[in-house]
Amino acid sequence: MVRVKPVAGALVALLCLVSSRPTPAAVAPATPSSAVPSSAVPSSTVPSAAAPAAAPSALASEPADPATLLRSSIGAPKVVSYVGQFETVRFASSRASATIVKVEHRAPELTRRWYVAPEALYGDYVITRGISTYQFDTKGAKLTVTHNPAIDDPVIADGNFYRVLQNYKAIYDGEAIVADRPTVSVVLINKYTGERAVRVWIDRATHLVLKKEEYHANGAVASQTRFEDLRYTTSIPDDIFSIDAPAGFSRVAGQDAAAPSSDIEKVVRDAGFAPYKPKALPQGFDLVSGDVTMVNNVRTLHLLYSDGLRSISLFENATGAAADFGALHPKTVSFEGHDADYVEDGPTTLLTWKEHNIYFALVGDLLINELVDIAKSVVP
Amino acid sequence: MNEQHLSPDLLVDYLHGELAPEDDALAHAHLSSCSACRGERDLEASLLEALRESVRSSEQEMPSLIKAAIWEQIRQAKPSPMRVLASWLRPALVVPALAILLVGGWFASPYGHPGTAPTIDAMYYLEAHAAQTAGTPLSEQGTQPALETSMIDSGSTQQLADAETSLASSALDGSR
Repeated sequence: MVRVKPVAGALVALLCLVSSRPTPAAVAPATPSSAVPSSAVPSSTVPSAAAPAAAPSALASEPADPATLLRSSIGAPKVVSYVGQFETVRFASSRASATIVKVEHRAPELTRRWYVAPEALYGDYVITRGISTYQFDTKGAKLTVTHNPAIDDPVIADGNFYRVLQNYKAIYDGEAIVADRPTVSVVLINKYTGERAVRVWIDRATHLVLKKEEYHANGAVASQTRFEDLRYTTSIPDDIFSIDAPAGFSRVAGQDAAAPSSDIEKVVRDAGFAPYKPKALPQGFDLVSGDVTMVNNVRTLHLLYSDGLRSISLFENATGAAADFGALHPKTVSFEGHDADYVEDGPTTLLTWKEHNIYFALVGDLLINELVDIAKSVVP
Repeated sequence: MNEQHLSPDLLVDYLHGELAPEDDALAHAHLSSCSACRGERDLEASLLEALRESVRSSEQEMPSLIKAAIWEQIRQAKPSPMRVLASWLRPALVVPALAILLVGGWFASPYGHPGTAPTIDAMYYLEAHAAQTAGTPLSEQGTQPALETSMIDSGSTQQLADAETSLASSALDGSR
């Protein structure tokens, strides 16, 4: 059983985290911690941190090429095992939401996230085993199982990294201590706009990303994630990753994520209607995949656009099915004679509207005015 | 619906999105497993697209001078208020208007909702987007925001709102 701080204490800690805001200066200076246990990091598989104990001094005098470091960091969770506490703050335009989770990760693909905050999720946990996710709702005594083929698709991963390097410039941005470990900071700058999109702090020894900040086009922080506590180890009991339903739990199958296809022509044929596509996307975005899914008996086309780091989804249905926002409390925005509904889920915005008898839904980590600009170009 | 293959009429309705949701789902499921019908569907779709393309290419904008002249005539032909009132009383308009009121009243009543139009849960869009972006570089260690929102949505949304409200003031100090 994992011990956790009381929720109130965790939220107080979170308030301190939020009020101090993410700036490099907010990272407390500290001396480098002890070397990573060799058992936690198979040296033969870590791309450029082959000898973790020796890596810090080598990197201190000669930082790795930022792009190489970045590539290495993306593969790090496949080879590094750890336990720790992970905090995420996501900023919407008028409010922020935060989560604190205890994480146990055994490379290459076993992870348990145990929620400490917010209070509504306290005690719930999620176990991922490769493409399968097991969501344990302890209050509702329900285990929901879903599958997502996109999680572990090496072709998608390679394509995304290629697009990152094509559209972003990786820049070395100094060193700092995060979770008591020395890190190298890398900033990704959009090549077309010159805007800073993402900043990551990468563990010098293991290349695990210990902290990440994402930024909106206006420079505001969209989200921040960071380890507050981290220990590399492979000594994690198997029980931690048990996917057996506890006594009294009902086990249900959730909606599986669709398998994305890069054969867009086939996807459009499956959709059965002539879809509309946005004509004005931010530079660097390409149509990368699509899928057709039956949702509540409605054939729904999903087109995914990405520049490697950021993504935009366009959903269309010709069956007259509007979006049901439930408890999400949508706001209204008008453009070109349409009344559209939108809702912010942290930095992610969902915009829905109807045009030419097709219901559209646009989703992306973009501000509402940016999404409206894209929506205007869908049916010019 | 034919148990073996989709009829041409059904295929055409399918392509135009004119089937009822249940029939649409059945047709979609059949197409995913029947290569013969998929071939028919692709043929129909290509014919449809060729027709659309042909119509698009033959569309011509009406000369602006003619358009302006027509609008001018419409404006000049604007009837007086009394004439408008009289026209409303014509049986040809009164009968359909009453019919519309009756139908509207039926649908507004509790008896008028035996089969409401399907809707899509907005959370589906957020979750599907998050699922397809799970392979994005640097997203691996993060929590799963859409999943968390749906978990909270199915549980206590108010608790989340309370937590967010308490965080909002301090969070906004430094961010914007």
